[in-house]
Amino acid sequence: MGLSSKNITPFIHPEKTWSKWIGYAGLTIGILLLLVSVQMFLNIRVLLKEEAPRKSGAFDYVSISKVITNQNMGSDNRFSPNDIQLLKNQPEITGVAPLYSNQFRATASAGNILPFSTDLFLESINPAFLDTLPKDFQWQPGKVDVPVIFSSEFLEMYNVFAPSQGLPQLSPRTISSVNIFLQCSGTRGSQNFRASIIGLTDRVNSILVPQSFLQWANQEFSGDSSTLVSRVYLKTVDANNPVLLKFLDDHGYYINKDKVRFGRIKGLLQNITGAIASLGVLMIILALIFFGFYLRLKIARSRENIKLLIALGYSPGWLSGVFSKSFLPVYLALILICLGITEVFQFLFSHLSFAQETVGPYIHWIVLATAGVLLIVTMLINRIMVRSEIRQL
Amino acid sequence: MQLVLKNIDPDYISDTSYSDIWNKEITVTKGEHVHIIAPSGSGKTSLIHFIYGLRTDYKGSIVHDGKNIKNLRAEKKATVRQNSMSIIFQDLRLFDDHTALENIEVKRKLNPFHPPEMIYEMATRMGVANKLPQVIKTCSYGEQQRIAIIRSLMQPFDFLLLDEPFSHLDEENRTKAMELLLEECEKRKAAMIFADLKELDMLKNEKILYL
Repeated sequence: MGLSSKNITPFIHPEKTWSKWIGYAGLTIGILLLLVSVQMFLNIRVLLKEEAPRKSGAFDYVSISKVITNQNMGSDNRFSPNDIQLLKNQPEITGVAPLYSNQFRATASAGNILPFSTDLFLESINPAFLDTLPKDFQWQPGKVDVPVIFSSEFLEMYNVFAPSQGLPQLSPRTISSVNIFLQCSGTRGSQNFRASIIGLTDRVNSILVPQSFLQWANQEFSGDSSTLVSRVYLKTVDANNPVLLKFLDDHGYYINKDKVRFGRIKGLLQNITGAIASLGVLMIILALIFFGFYLRLKIARSRENIKLLIALGYSPGWLSGVFSKSFLPVYLALILICLGITEVFQFLFSHLSFAQETVGPYIHWIVLATAGVLLIVTMLINRIMVRSEIRQL
Repeated sequence: MQLVLKNIDPDYISDTSYSDIWNKEITVTKGEHVHIIAPSGSGKTSLIHFIYGLRTDYKGSIVHDGKNIKNLRAEKKATVRQNSMSIIFQDLRLFDDHTALENIEVKRKLNPFHPPEMIYEMATRMGVANKLPQVIKTCSYGEQQRIAIIRSLMQPFDFLLLDEPFSHLDEENRTKAMELLLEECEKRKAAMIFADLKELDMLKNEKILYL
């Protein structure tokens, strides 16, 4: 049928009613809430680095150590293999990783560029517990180059005191290009290595070297192969679990509360965006119901005309198509407006101080895809409603 | 192409024995003129609506081009109404709030048999050319009837169904209208099914059936 919808639009009652405007307004708010919360959800993921493959959002990682009191100050406060086994046996604890430390003296200097020299500690942990794990975080005996993963908090602290010491401040990128001369010495000898920082970790507050290096160096320089550790990392579903906290308290273990709080905030933020998104979906459903009322009214008002058009030979399917397609420009405009507002929101958000480096100024493709899916779904629901209304005439 | 009425028995008429149509088998072939005569209230309009597929409350079957009209789906019915069957309703069924021209055009554009100029030509012949830009509800019933006649002639058809189409026309206009209808049926080699209260002397070689 080479027919244009223009032929019949004059015969369809132009309906001006409040339910149409409520429908449009509700749809706009709903779509906007949904798009913004999808974008926020993605922003939070980027900000909290959940996109990094090493981080599994379902778990909390916390470090524990024995509480040092005046009473136990003199004695050995390290974890024994028995302590660790006991931790592993707890059902609330998914994984346990002791943090081994150096049993020799380690001194670092940065050569002529950074006139800086310090004693330091080195630790190693099961790589499965790391949030960042570069491929070259490995070491074999005989190699002079030692890869290091550095705590991002330490970098922050360094940048705080560096200016006062006449040292340059370092960005996460430039720190990897600094060559560090690492001197390891102990009762059984001494050796120089070249260390380079190949990654930063938010999870472990330490200077980490590969386990193979630390084991070898402890043996090589101090003849020590002890398995005692002073810090242990726990992987758990919920670090705030009262059962777990009671167990740790009972054994005199101290838990890093900051990490737990961070995890809680992340969860809270995601719950809030989830709630906003659900509100958006609810608004869209309500708006579509209002739209249903509006369509029904419009079709009812044009009922006699539509019946006559069908009696004259117009196909009901074609009429439904024309009817529902007449809403396409409105829906498209609404969705474009919402995308525009979301983009403005994202642009402003990306300029906030805490988001500047990590969050891009443009909306994510998933938001665009969500908008596309919404358009298709609303058009489809619209079409189904129109078709069933016209069929009932 | 044929239209076959097989034993049609409306659900609401008890005695159908005196009728030439109810409970009989009647075949209408393209090019034929059938004149159905019946007094008011005897089911003329119902029969026309049965044939046009608007109503299905009858027993028996109406077979158009080999297919039972009763069983046609809405989309198929639309195709038949666009290509093979045209109608002048007794109650005219025009869009009251639209002009005479819009009323005719909405039908013509659906499946044009004539160019738009033909509307003016026919309206001039029928004496309603000056009514074309006028809103239908402001036209007299006789004028509306002539607009409905023109509307029915805008499409191709094999069967033209007429339900008391001249009820509000004077003798002169009746003749003009009948000439136009006969001409247009001739152009299409179409059959005319004409339902009216009494016999007409304007039809040619018609088959007369009493309802």
